[in-house]
Amino acid sequence: MTGSVLIEGVTKTFWRSPAVAGADFAAGHGVTGLLGPNGAGKTTLLRMMATVLAPDSGRLRLLGHDPATPSGRLAIRRRLGYLPQEPGFHRGMTVFGFIDYVAILKELTDRRARHDEVRRVIDLVGLAPVSGKRIRAVSGGMRRRVGLAQALLGDPDLVILDEPTAGLDPELRLRFREIVSRIGEGRTVVLSTHQTEDVAAVCQQVVVLHEGRSLFAGTPAALIEQAAGRVWLDRTRGAGAQLAWRNGDGLVRNVGDAPAGAELMAPTLEDAYLLLVGDKELVVTS
Amino acid sequence: MTGWHVDEETLARYAHGRGPLSVGASVEAHLLSCARCRALLTPAVELDRLERLWDDVVERVDAPRPGMVERLLRLAGVSEDTARLLAATPTLRASWLLAMAAALAFAVFAAIASGVHERGTLLFLTVAPVLPVAGVAVAFHRGLDPAYEIGLAAPYSQVRLLLLRSAAVTAVTCAAALVAGLLLPERALTAAAWLLPALALTSLTLVLARRVDVIYAAGGVGAVWVVTVVSSHLHVGQFAVFGAAGQLACLAVAAVSLVVLVADRDRYATRLGGV
Repeated sequence: MTGSVLIEGVTKTFWRSPAVAGADFAAGHGVTGLLGPNGAGKTTLLRMMATVLAPDSGRLRLLGHDPATPSGRLAIRRRLGYLPQEPGFHRGMTVFGFIDYVAILKELTDRRARHDEVRRVIDLVGLAPVSGKRIRAVSGGMRRRVGLAQALLGDPDLVILDEPTAGLDPELRLRFREIVSRIGEGRTVVLSTHQTEDVAAVCQQVVVLHEGRSLFAGTPAALIEQAAGRVWLDRTRGAGAQLAWRNGDGLVRNVGDAPAGAELMAPTLEDAYLLLVGDKELVVTS
Repeated sequence: MTGWHVDEETLARYAHGRGPLSVGASVEAHLLSCARCRALLTPAVELDRLERLWDDVVERVDAPRPGMVERLLRLAGVSEDTARLLAATPTLRASWLLAMAAALAFAVFAAIASGVHERGTLLFLTVAPVLPVAGVAVAFHRGLDPAYEIGLAAPYSQVRLLLLRSAAVTAVTCAAALVAGLLLPERALTAAAWLLPALALTSLTLVLARRVDVIYAAGGVGAVWVVTVVSSHLHVGQFAVFGAAGQLACLAVAAVSLVVLVADRDRYATRLGGV
C-alpha cells in the first residue's frame, strides 16, 4: 500500500470492548471518507491518525513517519490539522484569539506571520465578520467553522476531520462541503461521517467501517458497483429484500437479492452502503 | 476645492512618511478636500509602503486584546506567545484564584479564631503546601482544558506546557500563601516553613502524573501529606515535619523528583502526548 496514510491491521480495545478490530486502508491526496454507523470505530481510528491515541496492535504510517516514536509524532504533528468530533473552545476568547492560541501551539511564534495566517484561515471559512466576537457569543455552526479554521492553520499536508458536518443545517453542510473539497486539492483529507451524501459529494475514496473492521476501501463508484442489479422497484416488499421502503411514488424500493424480471434501478451510494453493512433492523415493510 | 496646493517637495516627503508630524497633519487635512493634490500624491506613494501601513492598521484592529493575566505576564518579561498559553491555564483564572484565596482565608481565620496558636498554625502549614498541588493538577487535567485534544495533536511540547503552567500556578499560589502566612501570629514559622513541602509535593505530583491521571496523583500526594503531618504531630512532636529534618526530607524529595522529571521527559511526552 502507498499514500500519506497507511493503516494495516490496526486494533484498539477499551475496557475489553474492541473499538477498532482490524482496520486496513491507504489514503493519498484528495478526500477520503470513513463511512460507518455510530460505534463503528471511526472516531477511534481518526484519533489514532491524529496521534492522540495509540493503537494496541497493527501498523500506522502517516506522512512517511511512525507515530509511535517521539520524533515521528512531532514530524507528523508539524504537518497535521485535526478537528475532533467535539472540539472544545476557550469560550471567553474571541474567534481570532482562540485560533491565534492554537497557532501558538502549532509553533507559529512570529506574531506578525502568525496573525497573517490566522486571518487567512478565518477568511477561508468565512468567519471574518465575527473574528472579534467571543466564541460563547457565536452560533454552533460558526463554532464548527472555528474548529475547521484551526485545523487548517499552517496549511497542513494531512487534515483529519471527525464528523465535520454533524449537526449542521443543510446550507452550512453545503458550505462545509465546498471548503472540504477545496482543501482536498493537493493534500490528504480524511473525514468521518455517517452521511452517505457527504461521501458522494466530496470523497474520491471511501472506507466503510463496521464493528471496528474495514469492510470496503475504494472509490465511491466501485462501492456503488457492488450494488448493481440489487435494487429494484415493486408494488410490495420483495422476498429477497434486505431493506425496503415505500418511496414518494407509492412504490417500494427494494435492496437485496432481486427476483428474475424485477424492474432494476441504478443503485446509489446509500444502497451499496446499506447492503454492505447489512443492518436488517432498518427494514420497513409495506 | 481650496485656493492653495501642497508643493511637490512637501507632498513627496509626506508620501514617504518623512517630515514633521505637524506638516503631515496639515497635508492630510488639505488632501481631504483637494482632488488635484490627491492625484499628484497617488503616483508618489510606494505600493510596498502602502501595504505595510495597511497591514499595520489591520493588525491593530484584529489582534486580540490581552487580558489582565496576559498583560501582567508580559510586564513580568514573559514572551507574548508564552503569556498567551499561560493565560489560558484554568488555574490562573479569576474563579480559581478566588477559590484559592477563600481556602487561605479560611485557614487564616481558623488559626486566629481557634485561640490555640499551635493548632491553627499547624492547620495553615498543612493546607498551604496542598494548594499549589491542587492548582497544578487542575491546570493540566484534560477534562478542564476545553481545547485539550486540539493541543495534543499540535507540535508544541506538552511537557514544556505542563512545566510552564505548573511553574506559573505554583508561583501565584505560593505568593498568596506567603501573604497569608504573614497574617498569622506564628509568622516566623508560617512565613516560609511550608515552601519546601509545597515544592516537594508539587514536583512529586508531576512525577506520578507520568503514570496515573494527574488528579489521582495530586489526591494521593495530598492525602499522604495530611496523614504524615497529623501522625508526626501526634507521635513525634509539634511541627516535627516542618523542623530541620522534615525540611531536608522535603528538599530531597523535590530534588529527586525534579531530576526524574527532566531525565524522564520522553516518557512524559508519551503519556501527555496520548500516543
